[in-house]
Amino acid sequence: MTTTQELQGADGRTQRERPPVPRLRDVLRAQLRATGFALRVPVVLAAAFAVLATLNVVLGVISRDGVTNIHAEPSPLPGFIGALLPLAVWAREEHFGAGFLWTLPVDRRRHALIKVLAGWLWMMGGVALYALWLLVLALVSGGEVLPVESLMILSAPGRPSSPVDPALLQTVQWAPGLLIWAVPFAMATATYLCGSALVLGIHRPLRWVVGAVIVFAVASTAAHLASPLLGLGWLEGAPESVVSRLFEGRYGLEALITLRTWSLDTRATLTTGEVVQIWSAVPDLHEWVIAAALWTGAGLLALWAAASRHRERRA
Amino acid sequence: MTHTNASASDYAVSTHGLCKRYGRDTALDQVGLRVPDGAVYVLVGVNGAGKSTLFKLLMNLERPDAGTAEVFGLDTGRAGSEVRAQVGYVPDRQDAPYRSMTSARLLRHAAAFYPKWDHAYADHLTHALGVPPQQRVGGLSKGETRRLQLVLALAHRPPLLLLDEPTDGLDPVVRRRALALLAEHLADAPTTVLMSTHHVHEVESLADHVGVLRDGRLVAQMTREELRRTVRSYQLEVPDGWAPGELHAVELRRSSAGRDVRCTLVGEEQQVTQRLTASGARVRQVSTLALEDAALAFLSEDAS
Repeated sequence: MTTTQELQGADGRTQRERPPVPRLRDVLRAQLRATGFALRVPVVLAAAFAVLATLNVVLGVISRDGVTNIHAEPSPLPGFIGALLPLAVWAREEHFGAGFLWTLPVDRRRHALIKVLAGWLWMMGGVALYALWLLVLALVSGGEVLPVESLMILSAPGRPSSPVDPALLQTVQWAPGLLIWAVPFAMATATYLCGSALVLGIHRPLRWVVGAVIVFAVASTAAHLASPLLGLGWLEGAPESVVSRLFEGRYGLEALITLRTWSLDTRATLTTGEVVQIWSAVPDLHEWVIAAALWTGAGLLALWAAASRHRERRA
Repeated sequence: MTHTNASASDYAVSTHGLCKRYGRDTALDQVGLRVPDGAVYVLVGVNGAGKSTLFKLLMNLERPDAGTAEVFGLDTGRAGSEVRAQVGYVPDRQDAPYRSMTSARLLRHAAAFYPKWDHAYADHLTHALGVPPQQRVGGLSKGETRRLQLVLALAHRPPLLLLDEPTDGLDPVVRRRALALLAEHLADAPTTVLMSTHHVHEVESLADHVGVLRDGRLVAQMTREELRRTVRSYQLEVPDGWAPGELHAVELRRSSAGRDVRCTLVGEEQQVTQRLTASGARVRQVSTLALEDAALAFLSEDAS
């Protein structure tokens, strides 16, 4: 049993050695354990999903009429998980108020960021397992580790008018290379940072989300009504345009989590009666890299601002 | 009314003009707390007097609207984490964190934050206080949660304990055991204690300083000896139409039946007796008060 060490001061008074604050690596280790504990339910659910999906693929491979040729492709799943994970990481913390976390001897802003880091490390582990799972499935099912996709590109600009003349289509080989394996990590990171900033910085994030939807609806209606009255044509549809750029723009959220595969391709019927996927352009990985960098940067800034809401009071 | 005999450097906790408001309500008003190093300081006040707010400000869990606070010379605002490393804190609320963790797991988690955590002592406290180690925190009763909070506060042997109603929710047997463990703890390691309680009589043997918070103001702060010496009950025989005169300023409680008046007064007995005699009253008996009665006298409606 240890006792608090005492030192004898020069004036003869007993001076107590101050108990030290914990080392940051110990704090990270503790938060890794606590966060891992908090994430065990989502992990079990994810594992159950993975087992079912694997069974489905294996049965397909065995029967040779099910799902085959699994390969890496841009899936928004890691992006969604990254956005939702902060809710699980912070679910048991009373971070707005005098919660237990803040009673611990760690600088509050630093502690918040360490907890976010702990959640991110778990998530990266999860995404790595997800990538490994995809890799194994690709190998088992005879798919390609570095896929090359054949995309039918519509040479005429704009949306295809059905039925489409096959003469207007051009087949292009799209080979994203190794970068395709970095996509889930980067998208999960960017959405996780943004999600963490929301959860950490806003007391009731769901209320803010609902409030944002209401504000958008009101602004949209007001712009629609005010545009003809004020003679401002640009006002008509301005709120929709802003939101559209944010979500579907060149560097929007959709570009981050799907490489714009949602907005670039569409199902269309050919004049031959065949239904095919038609792309208006090839997904651009350089644009995705810029989108990922922008969203990650914005997420980091937002996270810093959110963590600063909980910083120690300075005189 | 504040009396302290220590020099500034001897204070484990000191606050200067500390103010905290919640909207229009004033929780703390110009509080100048002085807790000498090594003291067991008992803070008394009714519910809502500002005791818990004061503890939260010392932990830098809330930000004051004005004033400063220091713990062992460290500004609580500028060095919040260093301050909290010195403190074992039992909050007023009895809801423990991480409800799905077991008590043992929560203790291991907390241990990582205190390099001086004493695992053997934590086990001893857990056993002595009857905290079920394998039970989930969310399944603990109010009293068990309180006991777990006490283990969390004591196990790293901090030089300062901030105990906000530490025995609240404990049954009489455990309450007695908890106070005995606290006494052992104080005997083992030099520790300053600032505790709030509604049961001053329970900690009478431990307390050596008392402070009284009323409506957010620290209306009294003195050593136990000063309190016992200067707050006394006087039984008087007074003439018709007797008015206490200047004694009114120190009158705390007064109950009268005919010409007999019993009142609690603050001041050195000799001086108070002289003033009473000068006012025409005859002092029939002077008696000392229990620590709790003396402290609670300051909370009386007509205390000035």
